[in-house]
Amino acid sequence: MSAPPSSSLVRKIYRACRSSLAEPDLSLNLAVADYINEKQGNAPREAAKTVVNLVNSKDTHTAIFALTLLDVLVKNCGYPFHLQISRKEFLNELVKRFPERPPSRYSRVQKMILGAIEEWNQTICKTSRHKEDLGFIRDMHRLLTYKGYIFPEVKPEDASVLNPSDNLKSIEEVQREEQLAQSAKLQELVRRGRPQDLKEANKLMKIMAGFKDDTIVESKARVAEDLDRLKRKADVFSEMLQQSTNSGQFDPNDETLVELFSALKVAQPKIQKIITEEQDDPDAVQNLLQLNDSVNLLVDKFNLLKAGDLTNASKIKVASNGSGVQQSLNLIDFDDDDSATATPPPQQQGTTVDDLLGDLNSLSFNNPPQANYGLGGDISLGATSPPPQSLSPQQSSGPNYDIFAQLSQPSTSSPSVAASAPSFDLLSGFSQPQQQQQPQQQQPQPPQPSLKQRTVVNESQHLKFEIDVSKHSDNFISVKAFFTNLGAIPLTNFQFLIAVPKSLTLTLDPQVGSFIPSFGKDSVTQSFKIASQQGSIPSWKIKWKVNYSINGSPIEETATYTITV
Amino acid sequence: MGGSVSKIMGKLFGTTEMKMLMLGLDSAGKTTILYKLKLNKIRTTGPTVGFNVETFQYKNVKFNMWDVGGQDRLRPLWRHYFPKTNALIYVIDSSDKKRLQESKIQLEKVLRELQNVSSAQGFVLLVFANKQDLPGALSPKEISNTLDLKNILTPDQLYAVMGTNALTGQGLIEGLSWVSNNFKKNRT
Repeated sequence: MSAPPSSSLVRKIYRACRSSLAEPDLSLNLAVADYINEKQGNAPREAAKTVVNLVNSKDTHTAIFALTLLDVLVKNCGYPFHLQISRKEFLNELVKRFPERPPSRYSRVQKMILGAIEEWNQTICKTSRHKEDLGFIRDMHRLLTYKGYIFPEVKPEDASVLNPSDNLKSIEEVQREEQLAQSAKLQELVRRGRPQDLKEANKLMKIMAGFKDDTIVESKARVAEDLDRLKRKADVFSEMLQQSTNSGQFDPNDETLVELFSALKVAQPKIQKIITEEQDDPDAVQNLLQLNDSVNLLVDKFNLLKAGDLTNASKIKVASNGSGVQQSLNLIDFDDDDSATATPPPQQQGTTVDDLLGDLNSLSFNNPPQANYGLGGDISLGATSPPPQSLSPQQSSGPNYDIFAQLSQPSTSSPSVAASAPSFDLLSGFSQPQQQQQPQQQQPQPPQPSLKQRTVVNESQHLKFEIDVSKHSDNFISVKAFFTNLGAIPLTNFQFLIAVPKSLTLTLDPQVGSFIPSFGKDSVTQSFKIASQQGSIPSWKIKWKVNYSINGSPIEETATYTITV
Repeated sequence: MGGSVSKIMGKLFGTTEMKMLMLGLDSAGKTTILYKLKLNKIRTTGPTVGFNVETFQYKNVKFNMWDVGGQDRLRPLWRHYFPKTNALIYVIDSSDKKRLQESKIQLEKVLRELQNVSSAQGFVLLVFANKQDLPGALSPKEISNTLDLKNILTPDQLYAVMGTNALTGQGLIEGLSWVSNNFKKNRT
């Protein structure tokens, strides 16, 4: 066969890496990325092959340009390219010129290659939705470590690009992204052509052709998840604006404010798009419109405040979006006969909580535990998950049935709880000791801490916050909070703050530790006790805030949470 | 080393390997053709959801034949099978006059895309006008006229339209030998 004519992709790559350039040309590099994104198909593979050849070129200049280009492609071409760089052949080529034993000093090219592998290993191998396809990168990382190579540190700003963004995406976009990833995978499987690959390709084809229609459901769930996150942002933003309006102090350059503002701003057109996509579902549309309105109002308010127009700004009242927090509070209030706790939560109560629930359903929260656990700042439905004793079939035994039924009503009324299968077993176990405690509710009870497993209060990108609650009596609980670092970067200056409503009394023990090493589990703990004055059944509402620095930049996480005992 | 030796031997003795991609609308008979060629047997097959691939030798050519399902939901996925294609076999149900036009549109689309796949350059096109045994089936000549291939294809594109009957195997072997002869010619 005659040598295939070098394709325009190859020519573009050579142009971007030619040694006559003075420095890497970003625009040429981006042109290659655009070309690959447009062509797809075989383009990612061809590009990966060509680039790695250039990386191994004898000319250091070219090699460095090629590595710069590689970096641009990894960051701009998404999963189809990630799949290519995670191929064994590619990785072997990439380290072809590495000696068996690490040299005493690394060359610049070697340093860049090590840096790239480290970065991939830290980012896409951990956070990509398809990380199981990228196993060879991890293996190569492990191999190099074993051989004694030392990896340079990854710059966090580089790493952040490769982590999934939280920008709101419409259902269509989510699906397109998914399709692209599937296409790339199918083509790769067909190309490899081993029997097991072909088997998988056949399976994948069925999914792609829609013979298994879980893709749309999955996309919708992902969008619902994102919307939920956006609602929380809107609420936090609203609260912050309200505070600054009340206090009259407004700092338009406040980092958090600006970040939230831009997040809302970016989301605006997306919300409208989702509205058109969901138009068959009136509940969803209504809720989305409401969200859209409050986002608009918030943006206006921010602009007014920025212009110094305090009076007009204070006129804009934004109803809360009922981002989970209030929903859960409301659910709890709903079942309590107690008037003290039945008062609305401190923030303005969203008027459409019922709608919201209906809406969340309609957005097909088919997988609530997943959608709710482990998300930044998410307290929402996680708070309602611990007490669904009503779900356990055994609970109807015994004389406590009535009290129980009364207590359990609300949890059954919450659709998300009803569907949360994973928490089921765990909780049905718990219902046993609780049942025994119920009849003694009236008389004071000698302290008898009931053993509980830890509850996850919040899980963000960096931090997992768990509590271990022991109930001493109906009006007194002691809680131990545990903080775990989920990332590789240590968290410093860690500080935990907590506040409770006036009806409760809080006693804090000193915080243990203020530094969480990378992946440090429970490195910081804090014990506290909460007592309620009334003889009634209190709602253990807390507001918590954690401050910490990650690579010197301060981060704050805050939310309200209701401890379930 | 062993690989390169066998490659040289292959060149000396003329054994070549070919990737053939078989496409066409649903129920045109692609899977039946595949298994007739592979096993010389008629297998009753349901609609292919996904694809089948079989390897078989004819004379000194080893054929890798890919048969991809033709339902409309699967058609957008055809392109994933394009790379490295040496021969496109397009199967048409000659008795299904209603869908001949649809079949033509699909073929045009495939050809347009295939021409842009660099690893598939120099492919040959073979159209099987299948189900010739059915009453009222259009002749290969009529099919060829309807498809109007001269106007779609570039002047140097090699193609042939053959009447086949997958049940008896009529026309299939002739098709394969046309492909292998013309593909070799194309390469030299």
